[in-house]
Amino acid sequence: MKKRILVVDDEEGLRLLYKEELEDEGWDVELAASGEESLDKLEKDSIDLVLLDIKMPGMDGVEVLRRVKEKWKDLPVILCTAYPHYKHDFGTWASDAYITKSSDLTELKQTIRDILGKKP
Amino acid sequence: MEYDIIEQVSELAVSGSPLEEKLEKAVALLADYLAFDGCAVLLLDENGYMRSVAAKCPEALPPYRLGQGVPGLAFTGGALIEVHKEAGDAAWEGIEDSGLEGYRTALAYPLKEKERTCGVLFLRARAKVRLTLLKRQILKLAAMQLLILVKSSEVLNDHHRVYSELLEMQQKLVSSEKLLALGDMAATMAHEIRNPLLSIGGYAARLKRQLPPGSPALGYLEQMGAEIGRIEKIMNGIIRFLKDNAVELKTDDLHCMIDEAMELFADEIAVHCIKVDRRSSGGPLPVLADREQMKIAFDNLIANAIQSMEKGGILTLETSRAGEFAVAKVSDTGGGIDPKYMGYIFNPFFTTKKHGTGLGLPIANSIIMRHKGTIEVRNEGHGAAFIIKLPVAGAAAPNSSRHETGEAV
Ligand SMILES: Nc1ncnc2c1ncn2[C@@H]1O[C@H](COP(=O)(O)OP(=O)(O)OP(=O)(O)O)[C@@H](O)[C@H]1O
Ligand SMILES: [Mg+2]
Repeated sequence: MKKRILVVDDEEGLRLLYKEELEDEGWDVELAASGEESLDKLEKDSIDLVLLDIKMPGMDGVEVLRRVKEKWKDLPVILCTAYPHYKHDFGTWASDAYITKSSDLTELKQTIRDILGKKP
Repeated sequence: MEYDIIEQVSELAVSGSPLEEKLEKAVALLADYLAFDGCAVLLLDENGYMRSVAAKCPEALPPYRLGQGVPGLAFTGGALIEVHKEAGDAAWEGIEDSGLEGYRTALAYPLKEKERTCGVLFLRARAKVRLTLLKRQILKLAAMQLLILVKSSEVLNDHHRVYSELLEMQQKLVSSEKLLALGDMAATMAHEIRNPLLSIGGYAARLKRQLPPGSPALGYLEQMGAEIGRIEKIMNGIIRFLKDNAVELKTDDLHCMIDEAMELFADEIAVHCIKVDRRSSGGPLPVLADREQMKIAFDNLIANAIQSMEKGGILTLETSRAGEFAVAKVSDTGGGIDPKYMGYIFNPFFTTKKHGTGLGLPIANSIIMRHKGTIEVRNEGHGAAFIIKLPVAGAAAPNSSRHETGEAV
């Protein structure tokens, strides 16, 4: 079975871009437009990795990260930040990786492969 | 005319030459006029030695300390001392002064301003010389003139120093105001520009992959991608520079920081045939620093140095300690900085490079400022030298760190 990634971002253009690019890489992709929606999806679907934007209206990425790690301790989460070298300690909960948002998606794709294993 | 000498020294005083030159000429005139073989002006230095600032002497003067020898005694006593090598002059016998060897007459006159002595006029003659009353009076006048010479140049120096300090402070103020204004902008920019950029760039890349090979639009998309990459690079720079990252200060070794920053450049150094000269004073150099941030600062300085030496050269990295400061110096042999640009290189976006962002130095500067350090630049040897000073951990500020490496001094 293909591994499934949940992309959480409030910008539609980016959600679609991530979906197409990651599907091309061979992953299954689910989308959520807000923090609240992402938690719903996580309850219902089986997800193998979360790609999480930090700055979203409503519940932000840091809060989502906290709740995800509380409930699904081993579920890998990649935080996307607008700041380069943004290595902050988000309370007790650390994400598995930080990615600076960039139009070059190579680093993101590589990080996902590293975490989920070579084969989807 | 007996008073000619006074006139000549006065003329010297109002001439435009530097102090050293004026004094040299004055002592030569005096020695000549009074028929002494040697004449010197000695000023007290910070180590307690009487330093000769001008001398017309057949042989060098021994180092005099306060209270030592004829000049030292005149200084501490605050009055003229005159000794003659002849039977009955007990003073000559009583003074230990290797500077008197081969001389028969010595005379030291304190340069005194009110009750404060700042130096001595010292005269020696091989022959026996007895000054007439007139000559003694002229000597006194000449000593006053020398004192005025020395004092006025001190005042002038103070003036220059205060002026340049003010200028420097003003420049710093102006640039920190600029930084504040830019700071808000950058935070907004990070979010509002990065997402659309990502979108444009990302779709351009997808489009490129979907076009048939050989399609002319491939080139356009390539260009778009490159330009977006460039904007992103500038943005990263701006954000890094302005984002008010609270620095996380820990006691850390400055030597290590530089060595780590250097690791990134191994390839480039090899490609451009650059020789690295790493000099460091032994022992750890503990500073309170945010290692990641300081590395970014050094990255930028090293990158600039390497970029200035495309055709090879020597990159010198020096670390040492100077009092309460740990000092790091990054210098190159790349030709240095055009003096007309010196005032601008720390301004955001100032660049002379085709693909530069002009943010390297402002970033380095803002990081160092957050560490309560300083950065200075000057052209030196065959290139530019950047000197960074950081307070040594434990030297002045109390060490708030829990993570102790290196020994606090
Ligand atoms: N070591 C050096 N030798 C000669 N010129 C230098 C050196 N370091 C800095 N400069 C001058 O200062 C300018 C500003 O440097 P800064 O690092 O801020 O930006 P940049 O190097 O031009 O761009 P970027 O850092 O983005 O590559 C440079 O363009 C160059 O003219
Ligand atoms: Mg640079």
